[in-house]
Amino acid sequence: MRLAPIVAVALLAAAPAAAQLGAATQSPPPEGVAEGQGAANPKGHYAALDALPDWGGIWFVMAGPPGSAPAATPKLKGEYLARREAFVAEVRANDGVTRRDRSYCSPPGLPRIMRLAQYPYEFIFAPGRVTINQEAWMQTRTIWTDGRAHEEDPDPGFMGDSIGHWEGDTLVVDTIGISDALEMDTGWPHSDQFRLIERIHLDPSNPDVLVNEMRMEDPEALAEPYEVTTRYRRDRYGKLFEFQCSENDRNPVDEDGNTQFD
Amino acid sequence: MKRLLLLSAALAALPIPAVVPAIAWAHHSYAMFDMNKTVVLDASVTRFKWQNPHAFIEVDVTVKGGTEHWAIEMTAPNNLVQEGWKRTSLKPGDKVRIWVHPLRTGARGGSYAGIRLPDGSTLGDVS
Repeated sequence: MRLAPIVAVALLAAAPAAAQLGAATQSPPPEGVAEGQGAANPKGHYAALDALPDWGGIWFVMAGPPGSAPAATPKLKGEYLARREAFVAEVRANDGVTRRDRSYCSPPGLPRIMRLAQYPYEFIFAPGRVTINQEAWMQTRTIWTDGRAHEEDPDPGFMGDSIGHWEGDTLVVDTIGISDALEMDTGWPHSDQFRLIERIHLDPSNPDVLVNEMRMEDPEALAEPYEVTTRYRRDRYGKLFEFQCSENDRNPVDEDGNTQFD
Repeated sequence: MKRLLLLSAALAALPIPAVVPAIAWAHHSYAMFDMNKTVVLDASVTRFKWQNPHAFIEVDVTVKGGTEHWAIEMTAPNNLVQEGWKRTSLKPGDKVRIWVHPLRTGARGGSYAGIRLPDGSTLGDVS
């Protein structure tokens, strides 16, 4: 209570900012979307969603068939190749164990979050957008399908800025703005120019399999685009479980980057 | 599920992770476990944690001269459901036999492979 007058003075001093507290932010429509249109104005556009393909249920990443050849690896170049080689040398020297520079409660971001073995996904269609809920870390990914352009300078993040459109029954997604602190896969670094293009569709020979043809481009880190296909199998009536990592973090990372086991 | 774990085991055994796994690692790599080795524990359950990112079983194992406490990591509950597990499958005091891939460090912990429940039924890989 003794602090209250000081807080009041501080708020008065910051009047321009404080005046906005509690007021609804008035954002302009995104680039490429007219006032009154787009994902923010879904009313009247729900019936059209029925034309989209049936992606109901939840989806688990499928392992390749036993004995299948390992997927091709990214062709890195320059300093990114050197970083890769240093990583491999260190893991080799460390008995196959990879060091971590962050908590396991920190999610991997794109593209790895779309390729996790244990945790399923669900796809929610709404006018002007597709939402992907991910059991892993309870992550949410938004793909804007309302015709907007990429943000001019998106804040680098775990999910980046995803713009999509439907080509028939295939959702085509273009993602930029993925943080260069993340990796294509463990020990495979990329630059801030990294770009992910996904073509997501049901398998024509099995409608309970969803196919994600992923293409990764990076003029700084990759000598050529890297392509890999991820498949998911449907669990029609399954549901996502809660994932509150800090409630059950049994694998803290010590200051040397070694994974502990409680 | 079993196939996923075995795949992880094969990859963990590679001296050099020169290939991108067909699927990315799950929550963490299995390199901390000796996936080629299985130990069998006759144990008493002290705790069963049914929660992401991994379910856990904690047990006491009677050994010569005392008791060892083991922490056994499982996969995610959503995978375990498909193997027949549920939140109420275990409770403290249950006497079970557990098949475990032990930690390489020798500490009393490991990765779950299979279990024989008090009613004699089994889940997972108990061979």
